[in-house]
Amino acid sequence: MNLRIISANLVVKLTSFYRERTTMFFTIAFPIILILVFGTIFMSQDNVSYHLCVQDLDQTTSSAQSINTLELNGQFKITRVDPAIDAAHYVRDTKVNLVLVIPKGYESSLMERMMLDDTNASVTITYIYDPSSSSVPTKIEILNAVLAGINLEMSGTPPFIKSVARSILTRKYRFIEFFIPGIIAMSVMTLSLFSTVDSDTELRQKGVIRKLSTTPITRTDWLLSSILYQFILAVLTTVAMLLASRAVFDVSLHIDAWLPVFILLDVFAFVGIGMILTRFVKEAQSAAAAANSISFPMMFLSGSFFPIELMPGFLQKFAKVLPLYYVNEGLRASMVFVDNVAALKDAAVIGVFAAVVFVLGIIATRWEEGA
Amino acid sequence: MTNETEPVIEVEHLTKRYGELLAVNGISFTVRKGEVFAFLGPNGAGKTTTVEIIETIRTPTSGNVRLLGMDVTKKKREIVPRIGVLPQSFSSFDRITVRETLQYYSRLYCRSRTDIDGLIDLVNLKDKTREQYKNLSGGLKQRLGIAIALVNDPEVVFLDEPTTGLDPGARREVWNVLLGLKEKGKTVFLTTHYMEEAELLADAIAIISKGKIIAMGSPRELIEGNAKYLLLTLQSVHERVVEIVRNLGFEPVHDNHKNIKVRVAQTDDVLKILNAIKDAGASFLNLDVRKPNLEEVFLQLTGEALREDLPIRVAK
Repeated sequence: MNLRIISANLVVKLTSFYRERTTMFFTIAFPIILILVFGTIFMSQDNVSYHLCVQDLDQTTSSAQSINTLELNGQFKITRVDPAIDAAHYVRDTKVNLVLVIPKGYESSLMERMMLDDTNASVTITYIYDPSSSSVPTKIEILNAVLAGINLEMSGTPPFIKSVARSILTRKYRFIEFFIPGIIAMSVMTLSLFSTVDSDTELRQKGVIRKLSTTPITRTDWLLSSILYQFILAVLTTVAMLLASRAVFDVSLHIDAWLPVFILLDVFAFVGIGMILTRFVKEAQSAAAAANSISFPMMFLSGSFFPIELMPGFLQKFAKVLPLYYVNEGLRASMVFVDNVAALKDAAVIGVFAAVVFVLGIIATRWEEGA
Repeated sequence: MTNETEPVIEVEHLTKRYGELLAVNGISFTVRKGEVFAFLGPNGAGKTTTVEIIETIRTPTSGNVRLLGMDVTKKKREIVPRIGVLPQSFSSFDRITVRETLQYYSRLYCRSRTDIDGLIDLVNLKDKTREQYKNLSGGLKQRLGIAIALVNDPEVVFLDEPTTGLDPGARREVWNVLLGLKEKGKTVFLTTHYMEEAELLADAIAIISKGKIIAMGSPRELIEGNAKYLLLTLQSVHERVVEIVRNLGFEPVHDNHKNIKVRVAQTDDVLKILNAIKDAGASFLNLDVRKPNLEEVFLQLTGEALREDLPIRVAK
């Protein structure tokens, strides 16, 4: 290892990056765009409010009060549907996905139950819905919970099992604050993997690597300078992401020494994987496809965008062998939960993986050709 | 300590095999200090494979190669700082300027006192020092490549097809740089398929064909040793001339421009042909009698053109 050679390489890489203005812009802008897009989506998830159409066929004070109860629940914005029109047609024509229909005789049945204690008196609320809409099951689930609450209250007996939610965190976090560490991990992975595969394949195809192989630079010098370069870019993009999320969404996360540690391990692991891939990618044109084949499964299966608990069991097991999973978990442990022990465990896993991949990357990098 | 005649490159029974393909077939040669040695052959002859083995980029299948007295398969680390290489199809970092590129390569050799300006002067790139690599023309890129190959003041310089793909003007500019190297007394190993390049620059030439060296020596030795005949060219000849020459027992070759070339053993044969044409009342516009050049020697030796853009046309 020669520090002078590593620094010479680093200067050339950084100068090239600085002069490639388009690349520089997108390297920094892409993760910020991701933060803005997903941040906007997930900010609204913290205060989810569904659109609900209600057709009141009873048109009584009781039915109106029930609709108000739904509105006060806070999870629905109610649109009242004219009782004269056909609800099924309404769903089809106006592209709404669910209409709740309060039947005629709602108030009289309610009176029978309340005043006359007639336990046989009941009403049936109908959900007319479009099964192709993904939000319908959630809406029905919430509505059923609200109706169950009303039924319980009408029964007049206090519930036996009560529940209370208590967060393990000292302060209340929003979903976006769990999301940002995942985006940092994913962005660093993408940056390290793509620029290693892209630039090394291009340099090899152009013959620059062949020229370098006739100079004193070694594979280790080359790999270390690539890692340093990617680390600098990763820190730059991470700072940009944190500033953007702070400025736009007022996101405040705990930042300590674990952040650069996980960025460095993320870089080490994915520059190493990139070096191994470069061995098998012959042309610059196929480099992006090869990098995608690694980055896409990582991106979607390792919990960067959504919790892995939402995935089927076998995919959850698969997620736990992906290196990005441990970067995600480690960053969340340090930035959200401030749990040093958990961060250390994740760092150890990704550290071992990065070390193995780094050594394999050195072996896979070809300077001399043919045996 | 090396002297003027001490070998710098020694290749003995070198063989390189890629699967079934025998790219280099048991070749041996020696390059001496201060010599410009041209390795001449058509595409696919084994030139680049050979030079890359000597440069330590490739490993031989069998045979011995010693560079500066060291085994190239065992002493890469010691050899690399002492050689300069311009690889075939040389390229560099697109966004880095000429000066920065030279500084970068100088740092790779950990040299603090590289005369960057001197190198820029040598390859005549003074006006282009702030130009990024991607903006240079093909000839300028090659000249920069040569400067890079000299950045560590090497004892041996390897130039693998330094003028391939360049237009005649750019090629001549590169030749001027190479002549400058020759004047400085550098040992240069040059691979080329341009005969005029080898003739102009080389002290010694090895002709390689299908992995084997088929002739070796100075340009003069190669011509005199392999072409003991004269070449008579008659331009814009009358239709009957071909037949007249053939009747005299020669084998003329003619082209589409009504020119014929005849290989003759001595000057008397020339007079014999001219007299026969005169007696038959036939005519020609112009004539030329000369010794064959290296190109023709190569064609005679290998039966194949040196470059794909040259037709095989040899007088028998």
